[in-house]
Formats: sequence, structure tokens, C-alpha cells
Amino acid sequence: MSSPIRRVGRMAGAILAITCAVSLAAWAGGAGFGDDDDNSEEEGPSYFGFVRDTSGATVPDAKVTVGVKNRGGVVTRTDLLGTYKVPGFGKEVDPKEVEVSCDKPGYKQLRVVRRSSPSSDPKIPIETECTLQRI
Amino acid sequence: MRGPVIAGMVGAVIVAIAVLSDRTAAQSPFGDPNAEPAPFNPQMAALMSMLIQPRHTKLGLAGNAENWPLAGYMLKELRQGFAVAAKAVPRWKGLPVPDLVDAAVSQPLTLLDYAIKLKYRRQFDEAYEGLTKGCNACHATTDHAFVVIKVPDASSFPDQEFAPKP
Repeated sequence: MSSPIRRVGRMAGAILAITCAVSLAAWAGGAGFGDDDDNSEEEGPSYFGFVRDTSGATVPDAKVTVGVKNRGGVVTRTDLLGTYKVPGFGKEVDPKEVEVSCDKPGYKQLRVVRRSSPSSDPKIPIETECTLQRI
Repeated sequence: MRGPVIAGMVGAVIVAIAVLSDRTAAQSPFGDPNAEPAPFNPQMAALMSMLIQPRHTKLGLAGNAENWPLAGYMLKELRQGFAVAAKAVPRWKGLPVPDLVDAAVSQPLTLLDYAIKLKYRRQFDEAYEGLTKGCNACHATTDHAFVVIKVPDASSFPDQEFAPKP
């Protein structure tokens, strides 16, 4: 049988423990939720661009290959707006070794122009424009 | 025996007061009423809702009513809205907004301009459909395909007359 004073003491201890736990969490900034798929730390820049014809019009549904020299690559297609997007390769891949090419039946690739250099902001993709010419 | 108990109670009270006072000092989640007014810097979603969507709607309603002066005015306003949005947010999620806007809407805006000047309803309808498709294509490119724009089937502006003046 515990005395009333002991009971009060235990309660006070419990309150102290809970209060400390809550205040520590609040002090630490509360519960933080990082994006599960936020792996930008490990990835290099992503790749983005337009495929255009010689008149400057964008070309939807063109095949775009974004490859790393001697290591294969990724094949995608341009969307309705004539753009393609490829997520970043590993950080060990030097963006200078990444090459973009484009293709579509009835066209041949005329030129590929890199419009931007790697940025310090990993959210900004490397832009490369590919121009197709009708054959 | 009573010493540790009293010390525990005093500790609990001190921590509770600290937590409570911190809470009362916290600002409203909507900001500090005594702060200096912040510059208004609307981001892409707000710009689309303020400058683009209502103008797209009004342009469609004006063309549908064959109110060509109003359609011409709304086309100019819509074009300016795109320019303002692209200047205010030149990159969105890392993507180049001016280039995306150009690819999505430049051609249909030009065709709309011709249709309005010619007062040619059929060409207006086709170009307006093209503009609306361009909006949705851009939404898809920017991972917002769930924002689907359509040709308005009713007016959301009950205080504005869209029919031309007789």
C-alpha cells in the first residue's frame, strides 16, 4: 500500500517524463517527414529538352535516347508538347559524358545543342535540344 | 523521502510552464499581425488561377457569343497573363516556363488572333480547342495532368454580359 505522497510523487514523475518528451520533440522541430522518393542527394542532374523540326515547331512522339558514353542509356519519347524528361543518373556519371539523340520515322537528326550547363541547383535539369529534318 | 518527490513536482511545473509559454508566444499559422507587409509574390498555381483560367474562360464565352471586340480584348489579356506568369516564375520544378508556354500556346493564340480579326466562328472554335489542348499538354509535361481544362459550357461570371451589344 503506497502512501498518498508516494502516489503524487509517481504521478509528478510521469508528468515530468511526458512533458520532457513532448517539449524535446517540439524543440527539435516536431515530426519531420522527408519525401520517400527524394534521392536527389545520390542522383546527378536530370535531363530535359525539346525535339523540334527545322521550322522550330516541336515534334511529339519522337524517340529520344539519353545515353552515357560506352555504358548504354535510356530511351524515351517526346510528349504532346514535344518535350522529354529523363531522371538523373548516378552522381558518378559526368554530365559531359551524357549524349542525347533523337529519331522519328520520316525524319533524320540534324543537330543536337546543349542549352545549359550543369547547375548548382540539382532541381534544374540539363537542357538539350534535338532538331530533326524531314527526309 | 519527500525531498525527491517535491523536486520532481517542481521540475514538472517548470517544464510545463516553459512549454505553455512557448505555445502562447507562437504566431498564428497565418503569420504575425505586427509584421511588415510582405511583397506579394504569387507562385504558379495562384498565377494560373488569377491570370490564366478566368481569361481563358472569358475568351471562350466571348467567342461563343461571337462578341469579337470582347474576344480580341480577352485574347490580349490572356497573352499578357502568360507573359507575366513566365516572367514571374521563369523556372518551375526546374523546367523552363517561357519555353513550355511558347510550345503550348503560341500557335493557337496566333490562330485565335486571325479568327477574331476575321470574325470567323469555326476557325475560332478550332483554335480555342487547340489552345485548350495546349494547356492540358503543358499540365501533363509538368506532372499536373489531373488539372484538365475544357471549353466552358457555362459562364462563371454572372455579372458580365458576353453577348455583343446590339
